[in-house]
Amino acid sequence: MSTIWRMSRRSLLGSTAALGSTLILPGKAPAQGGAKPFAGTTLNISSWSAPYAKWLQEYLPEFTELTGIEVNYDTPGFAVYNQQVDLELSTGGSAYDVANITFIYTSRWIGAGWFTPLDDFYNDPNKTPDEFDAADFLNGTQLPMRDAEGRTYGFSWVADAMHAGASRFDIMEEAGFGMPKSFDELMAMVPEIHKVKGVSAFTAENHHGWIFPPIMQAFGGNVFVDPPHNIMPALDTPEVHEASRWYVDLQNNYGPDGWLAQTYDQTVNVLKQGRANYCLFNQPFLMQMGAPDSKTKETCAFAMYPEGPKGKFPGLAVHGWGIPTGARNKDASWEFIKWAVGKDLMMRMLEEKGYGAVTRRSVIESPKFKEVNMVNGYDVGDIYLRTIGLAEQGHMAYRTVHVYPQANAQINKAIEMIASGQATPEEAWRQAQENAIADIRRAGVDL
Amino acid sequence: MASAAITSWDRQRRRAFFWGLFPALAVLAVITVAPAVYLVVTSLTPLNLTNPVQTGLDFSDPLRNYREAIADYRFRNSVWVQVKLSLATVVAQVLIGLGLALLLNARSKLLEAIRTAFLIPMVLPPIVVALIWKIIYSPDVSPMHRLLEFVGFPVRSLITQADTALWAIAVADTWEWFPFTMLIILASLQMVPDEPLEAAKIDGATSYQSFWYVVLPYIQPAIIVAALFRLIDSVKAFPLIYVLTNGGPGQVTEVTNYFAFVQAFNFSYWGYASAIATMLVAGVFLLSWLLRRLDQAGQRDE
Amino acid sequence: MSSAIERAKSGTGAVPRPLQVSPEARRRRLLNWLAVAILLFVMIPFFWMVQMSFRPNDDIFGYELLFSPTVEHYTALWHGNFPTSFLNSVLSSGISTILALIVGTPAAYSLARWEFRGKEQVGLWILATRMAPPIAFTIPFFLAYRYLGLSDTILGLVLIYLTFNLALVIWMMQTFFATVPKSLEEAAWIDGCSVWGAFLRITLPLTAPGLAATAVLCFIFSWNDFFYALILTRTNAQTAPVAIVNFIQYEGYEWGKIAAGGTLVMMPVVVFTMLVRTYLVRGLTAGGIKD
Repeated sequence: MSTIWRMSRRSLLGSTAALGSTLILPGKAPAQGGAKPFAGTTLNISSWSAPYAKWLQEYLPEFTELTGIEVNYDTPGFAVYNQQVDLELSTGGSAYDVANITFIYTSRWIGAGWFTPLDDFYNDPNKTPDEFDAADFLNGTQLPMRDAEGRTYGFSWVADAMHAGASRFDIMEEAGFGMPKSFDELMAMVPEIHKVKGVSAFTAENHHGWIFPPIMQAFGGNVFVDPPHNIMPALDTPEVHEASRWYVDLQNNYGPDGWLAQTYDQTVNVLKQGRANYCLFNQPFLMQMGAPDSKTKETCAFAMYPEGPKGKFPGLAVHGWGIPTGARNKDASWEFIKWAVGKDLMMRMLEEKGYGAVTRRSVIESPKFKEVNMVNGYDVGDIYLRTIGLAEQGHMAYRTVHVYPQANAQINKAIEMIASGQATPEEAWRQAQENAIADIRRAGVDL
Repeated sequence: MASAAITSWDRQRRRAFFWGLFPALAVLAVITVAPAVYLVVTSLTPLNLTNPVQTGLDFSDPLRNYREAIADYRFRNSVWVQVKLSLATVVAQVLIGLGLALLLNARSKLLEAIRTAFLIPMVLPPIVVALIWKIIYSPDVSPMHRLLEFVGFPVRSLITQADTALWAIAVADTWEWFPFTMLIILASLQMVPDEPLEAAKIDGATSYQSFWYVVLPYIQPAIIVAALFRLIDSVKAFPLIYVLTNGGPGQVTEVTNYFAFVQAFNFSYWGYASAIATMLVAGVFLLSWLLRRLDQAGQRDE
Repeated sequence: MSSAIERAKSGTGAVPRPLQVSPEARRRRLLNWLAVAILLFVMIPFFWMVQMSFRPNDDIFGYELLFSPTVEHYTALWHGNFPTSFLNSVLSSGISTILALIVGTPAAYSLARWEFRGKEQVGLWILATRMAPPIAFTIPFFLAYRYLGLSDTILGLVLIYLTFNLALVIWMMQTFFATVPKSLEEAAWIDGCSVWGAFLRITLPLTAPGLAATAVLCFIFSWNDFFYALILTRTNAQTAPVAIVNFIQYEGYEWGKIAAGGTLVMMPVVVFTMLVRTYLVRGLTAGGIKD
């Protein structure tokens, strides 16, 4: 009994000390005032291995020094991360103190109550100094992190926008091409540049559930009939058949060997080594072509996502840090989120790592933003902002449907089946449609 | 020595043995029987962890998961993939194991050393085997792809094509496990008695004939036992598939074990996955029963 | 094949003097060379990984046999999370092995010495645990660990490794105990030893080599586990095999590091195998065939 009392007394003292420091040093984070109320705490934190998440690892010692909080930090691959966290959350486990809220799971995870509302944290001046400035986050990137009642469950660290990039623009120029503006121009170019100097003409990662829907939409199709209102899958349509035929043809004939096994990490390497040329990919990944260790930093080029027969629908995803409901020490978790998406760190990541896919208005509007995002003479920052602007078309609505993960799995399978010649597009999508409906029903949804 | 003393010794020993055996069996019951019962019970429910109490005790339609599995194309496909993979690997492992056992069956320091070196693939952590083959099957780092390109036979990545992916896995699995069949057959070869062989030679049998009529019948039980062991263990194939293909492309390499894993740990269909695992266990036990019968028959023959 | 039979029969292996080379000996020598050639061919994938782990990063795609080796990948691993996962592997495998020996050895002794009804069934049960596919254990263990708070703990791994280690100890040690004559224990009992006293003082020391081999096999089998650790651990108790797969995914296909990780994980196993190679088959077929 006495131990418990002493413990609570100590933590009480800790919080008064923190409060005191806020009073003395306005504008400073509570923990920076010398008292470290969470010293000795250990947090388990995980996100999928996005560039931001990997860079963050290098800054972690600073967080530990600042707060005394030790961090067990882990960044598995995208698919593995989602699988592990979904499983963990669905069982109410407490393995994670802070976890990334993956875009396609936002509705599922937040809707099921698996994350903690953060309003009481960021609105509480004792827990959050003014300089955190929750209103500074782009509204568009915060929308998926809220529930129907407007409560906030996460703070975004990336607006992952899909652009076009080329690792060997010199080859394209020699063959008389610029960056393609449309799907037709792209298709006309690839035969002329494929295997020139041993470089494949085209490449993209094998997360087809991410790369393919924009193509599907460009041909007039969509994943669901009318998301978010009518979430009946619409995978078996002539538009989708045509889109998949176009995409598989592009990859099988002009992509690198083994593209079906090429993950996003490998795709980044392929681009940095200059082994494949034109690529439709997320901005933070494409930017790596300009990194000091890249062999293509002198020859890379960037452009907007090309236009298909029915329009231009580049993918846009948002990821943010949240606190799982089962987390044991939520105040310490919040210390981490505050730091990891703080103005200071985002600005430094922009300057030190060239991280341009930021979510804070103040960073985007800073003069540094434009400077850092000039890569090999291309204004990637401008491409980024225009791509985000396109999202107002509402074409990303499909992705935050709470049963989208089931459809995503079916899209992955269908593209694999078609590309490996196991099924015609008609067969593959008919099967995908049936399975998606069965899976969604098994998840307890009435269609 | 008084017989009374012996009796008391026996009684004391029996009591001691009971207490020696009991803890182990109790632990074994808790960690094997209890989970098995739980698995079968779960397979009769639509368990959903967001509502575990209600769904975990819902026995209103106990055979639903089994019915669904039998109607599920992916499940039936996974069984067929498993059959193909198991048969291909077992046959290859037995033939290669037998050939090498015959080649290495002689007493010499050199052969002894080679025999030991051949054990390596089998004892490597399966995940390391999977990594090794990931390297071999990744065109940009693979010595195999380079060599084939060099001699003018470039091949496309084997693990992403529907018609080669499963065989690529079979090759890797054979590489990992041929030492097992080789070892068992070698052990049996070393016990072949000399007399019948000498008699055959005196009768003018060619070496081929003496292999076919004398040696093979003698080592046949060992071959069957080795094959059955591999057959049973081939059902557990996981790391190779997890690292090399993830069951793809499409479902070409999705064996039943992997399918159950995906249903449980990717989609959280616990009841459904438990039903599949239960059927898998039933199949494996049937094979084990066969193994034991054959082994006992073999022992009687001796 | 045919010549192998003759060789098996005559039991020769020693190379005769070069002056009097018989056709048989020449063939034997040819076959020896063949065996060496096959061995080298079979081991190419294995050696390829090992050489990759020493190849500098900018030359990782190279294939010249001569390169200046580097240990940069190993030092990089040493500075990352890898040592922790290596330690987790050592702890979970080690503790599980010790527990299996403590609980399993007396049971094996009892089974070897005690004739009782149901002995056959106990044998079948042990066989069944050897044969059952891991997925069957994983689902219930995963669900139970959620509620017991054992997921992502070393203890959780130790327990699930007992499912195969305990069966292995009981089976292996039983065969070793069977070789110790009962009369020795009888004599000890007459000298005033209790049943377990005689076991500890007489029987166990006589089977010490077998005990060591069993322990090594338990350790290897636990060390090699990937499936259970993949599902039952996240960050705290992650073992080395799971850690290497993770950095396939998050280190962006750094082949050098992957190869170095693979080499490190397999090292202890390869060394241990050389120690217990004669018992390997018995361990792998435990319960399935009679020795």
